Amino acid sequence: MVTVSRLAVDMDPAETIADLDRERERGLAAIGEAASLEELRDAEVAVLGRRAPVPAIQRSLGQAAPEDRPRLGKAINEVFESFRQALAERERELMAERERAVAEVDAVDVTLPGRRLPMGALHVLTQTERAMVDAFVALGYRVMEGPEVETDWYNFQALNIPPDHPARTPQDTLYLDVPGASGLLLRTQTSPMQIKAMETQPPPLYVVVPGRTYRNDTLDATHSPVFRQVEGLAVDEGLSLADMKGTLEAWARAMFTPRQRVRLRPDYFPFVEPGAQVDVSCFACDGAGCRICGNGWLEIMGAGMVHPRVLENGGVDPERYTGYAWGIGVERVAMLRHGIPDIRLFYEGDVRFLEQFARGWS
Amino acid sequence: MKVPYSWLRELVPTSLSPEEVAVALTEHGVEVESVLRPWEGLTGVVVARVLEVSDHPRADRLSLAAVDAGGEERRVVVGVRNMGPGDLVPYAPPGATLPGLDGQLERRTIRGETSDGMLCSPKELGISADHGGILILLEGESGEDVAAFLGLDDAVIDIEVFPNRPDLLSVLGVAREVAAITGDELRVPTPSVPEGDEKAAAVASVRVDDPERCPRYLARVIRGVTVAPSPLRAQIRLTACGMRPVSNVVDATNYALLELGHPMHPFDLRTISGGAIVVRRATDGERLVTLDGVERAFTPEDLMIADPQRAVAVAGVMGGDATEVGDATTDVLLESAYFDPRGVLRTARRLGLRTEASVRFERGADPEAVADAALHAAGLVAAWAGGTVLSGEIDVGSSPPRRRVAVRPPRASMLLGMEVSAGDILDVMGRLGIEGEEREGAVEVEVPGRRVDLEIEADLIEEVGRVRGYDALPSTLPGVAQAGGLDPEQRALRRIEDALVRTGLMQIHSVSFASTEDLELFEDERAAGVRVANPVSEEQGFLRSSLLPGLLRAAALSIGHRRAAVRLFERGHVMRLEEGVVEEDAVAALLTGPALEAWPAERRPQDVLDAKGALEHLLEELGVDGWSLGDPPGPPYHPGRSARVLLDGEAIGELGELHPSVGERFDVPGRVAVFELRAAPLVAAGAGLVELRPVSRFPPVRRDLAFVVDRSVPAADVRASLVDAAGPLLDRVLLFDVYDGEPLPEGKRSLAFAVDLRAADRTLTDEEAEELVAAIEARLASDVGAELRAG
Repeated sequence: MVTVSRLAVDMDPAETIADLDRERERGLAAIGEAASLEELRDAEVAVLGRRAPVPAIQRSLGQAAPEDRPRLGKAINEVFESFRQALAERERELMAERERAVAEVDAVDVTLPGRRLPMGALHVLTQTERAMVDAFVALGYRVMEGPEVETDWYNFQALNIPPDHPARTPQDTLYLDVPGASGLLLRTQTSPMQIKAMETQPPPLYVVVPGRTYRNDTLDATHSPVFRQVEGLAVDEGLSLADMKGTLEAWARAMFTPRQRVRLRPDYFPFVEPGAQVDVSCFACDGAGCRICGNGWLEIMGAGMVHPRVLENGGVDPERYTGYAWGIGVERVAMLRHGIPDIRLFYEGDVRFLEQFARGWS
Repeated sequence: MKVPYSWLRELVPTSLSPEEVAVALTEHGVEVESVLRPWEGLTGVVVARVLEVSDHPRADRLSLAAVDAGGEERRVVVGVRNMGPGDLVPYAPPGATLPGLDGQLERRTIRGETSDGMLCSPKELGISADHGGILILLEGESGEDVAAFLGLDDAVIDIEVFPNRPDLLSVLGVAREVAAITGDELRVPTPSVPEGDEKAAAVASVRVDDPERCPRYLARVIRGVTVAPSPLRAQIRLTACGMRPVSNVVDATNYALLELGHPMHPFDLRTISGGAIVVRRATDGERLVTLDGVERAFTPEDLMIADPQRAVAVAGVMGGDATEVGDATTDVLLESAYFDPRGVLRTARRLGLRTEASVRFERGADPEAVADAALHAAGLVAAWAGGTVLSGEIDVGSSPPRRRVAVRPPRASMLLGMEVSAGDILDVMGRLGIEGEEREGAVEVEVPGRRVDLEIEADLIEEVGRVRGYDALPSTLPGVAQAGGLDPEQRALRRIEDALVRTGLMQIHSVSFASTEDLELFEDERAAGVRVANPVSEEQGFLRSSLLPGLLRAAALSIGHRRAAVRLFERGHVMRLEEGVVEEDAVAALLTGPALEAWPAERRPQDVLDAKGALEHLLEELGVDGWSLGDPPGPPYHPGRSARVLLDGEAIGELGELHPSVGERFDVPGRVAVFELRAAPLVAAGAGLVELRPVSRFPPVRRDLAFVVDRSVPAADVRASLVDAAGPLLDRVLLFDVYDGEPLPEGKRSLAFAVDLRAADRTLTDEEAEELVAAIEARLASDVGAELRAG
């Protein structure tokens, strides 16, 4: 520790210089010995504080002979300067030392796994169906849902599917055995909601109906007894097949690529006239023809102008109003968009399948 | 319908290749499945003349044949001996390929004799099923290529005919489409046959007892035929179309059927008693052995062709065995009739029979084709089997009149979205061979009998659009005068899914079927499943009444793939049987296996409180208040780790671990925690749009209060009393510790709550806080016997 010297009343310059040299040595040693920032602060007080020797010498400068004062004053300032430099230097050293200690003692291997919450995911069919529905919503469509258990009237008869139609055989349709209720079945399409939508609301009517549908199919890579559809129905004055084409083209561009083109091929469904198979240009090859599409086109849905009898069955005057409708398979769209090769994957619930769709967006 | 390209070109001489025809048809609404080349595998086979046939020296059943294959003499070993010197036969030299044979033919030695290739049967050439002998050609030059000579280089266009277009089930029908699309000339076969002096009516008669089911029945008689194989080229075409050549008489009617589309049936006239055909309903239980050798029983719903003694055929479906044309037949009664489609459909379906005839009649044959088809077939019979076509036809009944349908050009323009004039409509109708005329601004057309699909204006408008091509159609968007969107309920259902995803659950979609065992898991209303009358499989005999079995199956699958940590949910419809079918939206979750698998995992299995955490999160996100837990629900739940979920006192579902035996049954070991709720009450009770509660700017007073209560007191009761006692100044309460053991007495536990008290308008004083704590303490003491823990 530094001790305070008693000074003579009359300062001897040579003695004072010797005192200053001694105090500098002592002070610098104290600074150098400080082992922590706390000790350094103590050392700072010991060399620069009110009661420290060098400030005391400075205060007693008045007792020196006037001709000695500038020389002694200069020498005192030099000592102060050397203390300040040493303090700053030692502080830097101690700070660096402390950083090293912190890094060592408190270190964590940040390559260890992070603490996470389990990751959830919407099923890819849900994601796809929502994207399909939302694209139609953006075109002004409202969303309706309906029951999976249906009557013969809504699923077939009202849709102009006659009693002898092969689709109605037990080979195609799953019927229910319900005491006291005959003709109940699992809807084979979301189209029953066409009639129900028309019953609920007079035209103009623009609705989409997502939902689960059923066929008497054995499960294999391309068939499932349970599958999903997004049905669409527009009924208004003056709607044309060209409007349907434009609507489905706009939808396809939202779902696939902005370059998507749509092709209609005449097809037959009893509830539409004219009816069409709707193809979209292959998003992979842009319609040039590739492994996915073969000929540049992807078959994606059945559609057409609502048959006048179906409009009548929904209570709509077919002379005044026309309409169009479509039914798109959700699995088909999901398979195309994500490269899913087998329809069974959707319904097995294998975590290894599900978790892949926790990532990304569309 | 399989249409040989060469046959098609006889009726419409198009310059398009088979592939181009396929594309044109498909684009205009006739779906071509593929273009087949059935004889692609036939190369190198040539016509050869047999020079000599001799015995194989070392094999009784084999012979040796020397043939001249275009100047070269070749020797082959043959297994049959139906050919003799001078006959022309197909000879396949080494290097040739045959449709049914892999690779090229090689020279081989058979029982010591070298065979330089082989002679071919019709079956080996792929032109019929006949393998009884070497094909004897009636003409040709030795050395000539057999494939080219017989037209076996033909393509076959395979068309998937839509059920409403039976007119396309013939070469002529497809040719008419091609002509309409391309503008090429259509050459309709116009049969004319010299008739003998003898009158058909003198040897046969027809009586129709049921004109509704059989509006027209026409018979022709051909006498003096010789039954034999039909000409090779006819056999080849029948084979290409997927029919089996039988004999010249049968093949002639089938050939006419394929060409014109009208099904006919030849009877051996001598087997028809008195030559008298009677068209009548079957008597109940009446029996007939049909052509396929099966004895079948009939009902009065079935229309039969009969003679005065017995039924001889099932009208429009299949002939009878006893009256079939055979080798000994000399006189043929040829039936060409029009039967009601629905009747044929019902009978064929009931019998489980699907024949070339029934397929056409049940979709609607052309009633106008009856006479021409009979003439065409009779002509072919006479040409191929000899004999005389008797004079006249026996024609009972009449074809129904043609429909007249008007098409308004403005309506057509509107419906298609492109300009269509009366001239355009007439042009398209003309191309399709449909007559029409302009009348009062509309085009009125007379629909020929073959087009059963054209009933209303829209049908004809489709023809206009289809034949002109939808390529010409513009893409337009209608002016939709509404904002699209989901209704609040649909948004709530999406929120349910999203909330569960945020709690770290993976969504599944499982099939909606349930087995008997699945239903037996329950002892409540869910035990009553809705039965599927014709299930896909036995394990899928019912509709699911709960989402739990599907979740269990998915969990088992993942565990089997070494994914032990399972967190799944499903939202979907469940159905059960009550007065009728009750169908409702449900949501369920299943958690099992370790809480987390990777370091720093808590090494504990997920349990009921993990499921409850997900449930709480869900209800919190939906803003559902006023829910609580009730009694254990019973099977399939663990009795000590489950509860009903109540909303305003009403059960809306269950939460809990499943009984261990349930997990075992589904191969999901360990604790299996689930919840299942009806979605509708959640949606109804949810918060919807949230309104802000004021956020206080004043600091809270925090008090940590530990209460000692009997272990039998549910934590929720303690909390509820606390919340109630604290009143409006309670800002937040968290249970942060549950403790039992020393120094607490046996049967007691401590529940420690962090209680934040806060006023909206001022800083609470210590005195106010102490008063509230005292009130809470007193209240808990009286409500649940709680004691505030000292220290």
